[in-house]
Amino acid sequence: MFKKVLIANRGEIAVRIIRACKELGISTVAVYSDADRKSLHVLLADEAYHIGPPLPSESYLVKEKIIEAAKKSGAEAIHPGFGFLSENDSFADLCEKEGIVFIGPTAEAIKLMGDKITAKKIAQQAKVPLVSGSDGAVTDVEASVVAEKIGYPVMIKASAGGGGKGMRLVRNKDDFESLLRMARSEARSAFGDDSVYVEKFVENPRHIEIQIIADSHGKVLHLFERECSIQRRHQKVIEEAPSAAISAKTRKKMGEVAVKIASAVNYRGAGTVEFIMDQKQNFYFLEMNTRIQVEHPVTEMITGLDIVKWMIKIAAGEKLPFKQNNIHMSGHALECRVYAEDPEANFIPSPGILEYVKLPSGPGIRDDSCIYSGYEVTSYYDPMLSKLIVWGETRDDAINKMLSALREYIVLGVKTNIGFLIRVMKDENFKKVNFDTGFIEKYPQLLSPTSEELDLPLIAAGLAIETMDAQNNNKSSKPNSKWKSHARKLGVSRNYML
Amino acid sequence: MEISCKKTWCLEELHAMTYSFKHKNKIYKLSFEDEGDRLVVELEGSKKPIEYKKIDDYLYSIIISGKSHSLAVLKKGKEIQIFFQGNLFNFETVSEIEQARGGHAASGANQISAPMPSRIVKVLKEKGAQVEQGEGVIVVEAMKMESELKSPLSGTIKEIKVSEGDTVEGGEILVLLSAD
Repeated sequence: MFKKVLIANRGEIAVRIIRACKELGISTVAVYSDADRKSLHVLLADEAYHIGPPLPSESYLVKEKIIEAAKKSGAEAIHPGFGFLSENDSFADLCEKEGIVFIGPTAEAIKLMGDKITAKKIAQQAKVPLVSGSDGAVTDVEASVVAEKIGYPVMIKASAGGGGKGMRLVRNKDDFESLLRMARSEARSAFGDDSVYVEKFVENPRHIEIQIIADSHGKVLHLFERECSIQRRHQKVIEEAPSAAISAKTRKKMGEVAVKIASAVNYRGAGTVEFIMDQKQNFYFLEMNTRIQVEHPVTEMITGLDIVKWMIKIAAGEKLPFKQNNIHMSGHALECRVYAEDPEANFIPSPGILEYVKLPSGPGIRDDSCIYSGYEVTSYYDPMLSKLIVWGETRDDAINKMLSALREYIVLGVKTNIGFLIRVMKDENFKKVNFDTGFIEKYPQLLSPTSEELDLPLIAAGLAIETMDAQNNNKSSKPNSKWKSHARKLGVSRNYML
Repeated sequence: MEISCKKTWCLEELHAMTYSFKHKNKIYKLSFEDEGDRLVVELEGSKKPIEYKKIDDYLYSIIISGKSHSLAVLKKGKEIQIFFQGNLFNFETVSEIEQARGGHAASGANQISAPMPSRIVKVLKEKGAQVEQGEGVIVVEAMKMESELKSPLSGTIKEIKVSEGDTVEGGEILVLLSAD
């Protein structure tokens, strides 16, 4: 086993990895930018090395600086966490060249899965279901032939696409020609390229993914699925395991397919195979993430396995000691990502100082966070403050536990999405598993607090001024004077009358 | 201890204290009445006895008709931030005088507000000073960049709500002006 590991990340995931290392008796090395000197990962690590200015491109993304810190500290391995250099195959390559173990898959596997078209080809070769459609860009004639073959509704997508531009949903044949023309002209003006391809449209899709764990001795296992359909701006906000929307049969099939994909690239470590699923439980390969996932804790809660520790042990050459049929899941886990952002203003980040923080606790409640009273959320990094994870015997138990934990959470100083998360937990459609990836857009009323919630805040605001006035008067008066007992009244009369 | 006659008179007269807060351009009034052994709050026409304790610098415990509530409060000048059940509420305290004037504090062009969460670097003008339209009044820093906030009108600085070094929310009103 390694004696010392460098964590090439920041925020809650760096804290999570540091904790895993400590439990394994491994010494920890943190790296930090100017903006992170006071961050929790620096406070918790055994060693800490400064790597430059706040901008990620000048610190956390500079491979050479990370390698230099590893060498200076004598770390034998680097855990990249997620984001930053975690899916950068040339960094994995560089680590190998420098004789440092990269805790993750091979550079080759990262590269293959990093390219979406290559990844789809690998999936196709492994006979993994893909959303049916044209084989790359098509002519007008080919497009209508493909649409006819795969059946309506279909999506026309710009090859150079992005941001929904050059995209058209076609529900029936009669509209195809005109919508195709529109998609092309939009693509031409947006990207200077009017080539398009055609894909089957998946109605009301759900996002389901399979956690993979593989050792370097050829064993590839899956740790069941997570459902991450509650998203805003194409980013997950609430995740759960298992999915309440799939049958045992689908679960088994999906797990097998994911193992097949991972095996095709000789996968090693922890990874996630993402699928899009329709309401009839037909699922299609989306992509594979070759790193630890933000939402990995829900899988840990239902399987009892520590995925981060296994990543480290696998990188150190250990074999997975269990078989697929030794892995069981129990109960239900939910994760809510707590962000410094404003749900009422299209989830715009809300940087600032967290003047006051109180974290929830209790049985079955896990808060993976990096915050404390006085912590500053800067505009340089992702505004995620915490991942609140709960485990319950059933999904309903887990929802109630999450609700209670969210209500204990206090963050003063910046806007957060906690109120929004509470409203989702109370939502009937969420409770009844009646949702898809369009959930948040469909129910905009969840974004704002209800008006009757204003009474108590107003009372508290009034009391705050009152106690402040009383305190000010206390300071200016002699102790034990009669004045003190009337301070509040006099203080107020002074402010408002004199 | 000298409690003057005048103050004693105040004590008699003002056993109820009224506060006004602005939230999303609406003004809310509430008053506390000290009935000796209990405090009664009146809000939107309904009266309730309340009991409260300050737990630490930020946290208040309030019990109303047996129901226990915890709220966190942060005061920044005239702005009050309340965190309650996952939601953050921003109130602005409205004085009797402002209210008498109709609470026009936030009526568009006669104010300067922070475009985003930022820190006040420099206050360039004083209260009562004359400004020309487009003249710089406050320098703020956000995302490591300084920018000068300019007066939207020619007139007089009525009030400067912040001082150098303050951290402000996006949208927070920094300066009130009155047009010539």
